[in-house]
Amino acid sequence: MPTRISDRAGYYGAWASGLFLTGVVFAIVAWLLVNGLRNVDWTFLTTNPAPGSVEIGVAGGIVAPLLGTLIITAMGTLIALPLGLATAVFLGEYGKPRLLKQLTDTSIDLIFGVPSIVFALFGLAIFSNPSLIFLSEEVQTSGKATAKSFFCASIMMALIALPPIVRSTQAAIASVPNVQREAAYALGKTRFAMIRKVVLPSIRPGIATGTILGMGRIAGDTAIVWILLGGAVLEPPVAGWWEPQNLLGFLHGTGATLTTYVYFASPAGEGNAEGKAYGAALVLFALVFIVNIVLGRAGQRRIGRQ
Amino acid sequence: MEPLDETPQSDELYQQARRQEWRHALDTTSDRRAAGIPTDPTAIAAVPPAAPVTVAPAVPVLPIASQVPVSSVRRAHIADANDLALATRGLRVAFSGNEILHGVDINAPRGGVVALVGPSGCGKTTLLRSLNRLTELAPTAQIKGQVLLDGNDVYGAKVDLNLLRRRVGMVFQQPNPFPMSIFDNVAFAIREQARKRPTRGSLMPAVEQALQRAGLWDEIKDNLDRSALSLSGGQQQRLCIARTLAADPEVLLMDEPCSALDPRSTARIEELIVQLAGSLTVVIVTHNLAQARRIADYAAFLLNGDVIEQGFAEQVFETPTQQQTADFVAGIFG
Repeated sequence: MPTRISDRAGYYGAWASGLFLTGVVFAIVAWLLVNGLRNVDWTFLTTNPAPGSVEIGVAGGIVAPLLGTLIITAMGTLIALPLGLATAVFLGEYGKPRLLKQLTDTSIDLIFGVPSIVFALFGLAIFSNPSLIFLSEEVQTSGKATAKSFFCASIMMALIALPPIVRSTQAAIASVPNVQREAAYALGKTRFAMIRKVVLPSIRPGIATGTILGMGRIAGDTAIVWILLGGAVLEPPVAGWWEPQNLLGFLHGTGATLTTYVYFASPAGEGNAEGKAYGAALVLFALVFIVNIVLGRAGQRRIGRQ
Repeated sequence: MEPLDETPQSDELYQQARRQEWRHALDTTSDRRAAGIPTDPTAIAAVPPAAPVTVAPAVPVLPIASQVPVSSVRRAHIADANDLALATRGLRVAFSGNEILHGVDINAPRGGVVALVGPSGCGKTTLLRSLNRLTELAPTAQIKGQVLLDGNDVYGAKVDLNLLRRRVGMVFQQPNPFPMSIFDNVAFAIREQARKRPTRGSLMPAVEQALQRAGLWDEIKDNLDRSALSLSGGQQQRLCIARTLAADPEVLLMDEPCSALDPRSTARIEELIVQLAGSLTVVIVTHNLAQARRIADYAAFLLNGDVIEQGFAEQVFETPTQQQTADFVAGIFG
């Protein structure tokens, strides 16, 4: 047991911070559960938001926003993961030319620090260019692109998911012992073979952690959804959107996610159904939590037979 | 520059003596010792009787390790001592302008076991790593002189680096199996970077042969899909040897391969090295003079980046011509 006053103060200070943080998180979760669970039922999960309702407490279900979150997260991650991996391998294994490495490092930090609404605004300017109409739809009056589609939003989402993926993978690469790299070289392997067969397999947990964090950033983002997806809570997708002939049209169109639904249903938005907002927030929380557990497990799978 | 060599790595004999000191200090049942019962039978079986560590006298006395007889029968596996599998000529290596090796000439007769001995920081490891061109992985390394593999300079312009490293395999100080299955560790060495992946069945004979040669097959043949990291330290090191043997090298470089192992595993590896000699040439860096005595046909003593003396192992260890060598094998420094 520490005896000096300063020593003891440090110990209890650190201890109290841990307790405080745990308390805050538990309070939020409990609040969410108490208020959200009341509103989450099968109908809530399987019906679309109520169209055009201005009546208090009538905001319908969340099937479309839930779908939107899943699609945006999947598409964003799909773009960000290979890009992030390649960037991390460049930074961690090659690192040359040195100037490019430093610039890339700075860029990753910048993306981490800049609020997503800035990227959303930038995306709006880029994607509305007529030459990029293939990413969204044409605005009949001006000939420009709407810049609002699942494609446009996913691309920008990939950008904000990149920093955690790169940093987490980079840290994992740095922890691969050098003797293993040398062992691969000593067997006459090329650098690429060494990276592919020795480095990549052992950094899987790091990649998984980065992916979880990146997915969390995507699922939690509101600004990009609002600007580049339209936040169209009241325009649920047409029936049979998943059929091949409709899918492309659907992905070119606007949509909503759980975050925008929470805003819409909250007292600040149009739906004015606080309970529904809590319900949707709880579902979003549960979703991120489940992804966390599943991917965490996948990353730690025993290494053995390939 | 030479991190592996920088760590003060004591002679095993010294370490054992230290362990016994500790045991003595901690042992409450010292009557066992009084009765002459060995406290650690395995250690005594594998390592020659430990000499008490005392302040070394100024005049070389009987070398500690000379209690171990040198087997001269073993040299039968060397067909022609003038047939050099590997040799260096005027090899100079510097890191950031700081020269570690000052023009080294080493001879490794085909089929022999060559021990490189010398105190920490004398350049043994750098020399070894220059033989398969691992030294140049350090961006600051400058290498001059020749390393001749079958008479051809490995630093020549047309050398295929990846092929060279297959012909001159290497086993490291720490067992470093890859985080894959046992099978994949060995197969990794022989899988060409071809588009078409060879099947497990087609790789199996070579994998089995390599594991047989490394004396590991019988222990793990039913567990080839287990992670290599689940093996014991000694097994991991033999797996690393098997992995290297799978590429069918002509020369095997070993950088203190037993320094991280217990005496029993050390004995296994030494046995293996003696078995392998003849079918390939072994160049081994060792800090353990007793080990060098047990396994080496030839020895080279390095000091501060120069070869002080080299030749038949027993000659270097028993009747050294240089005073520095005599002092080193007598344990006056090291």
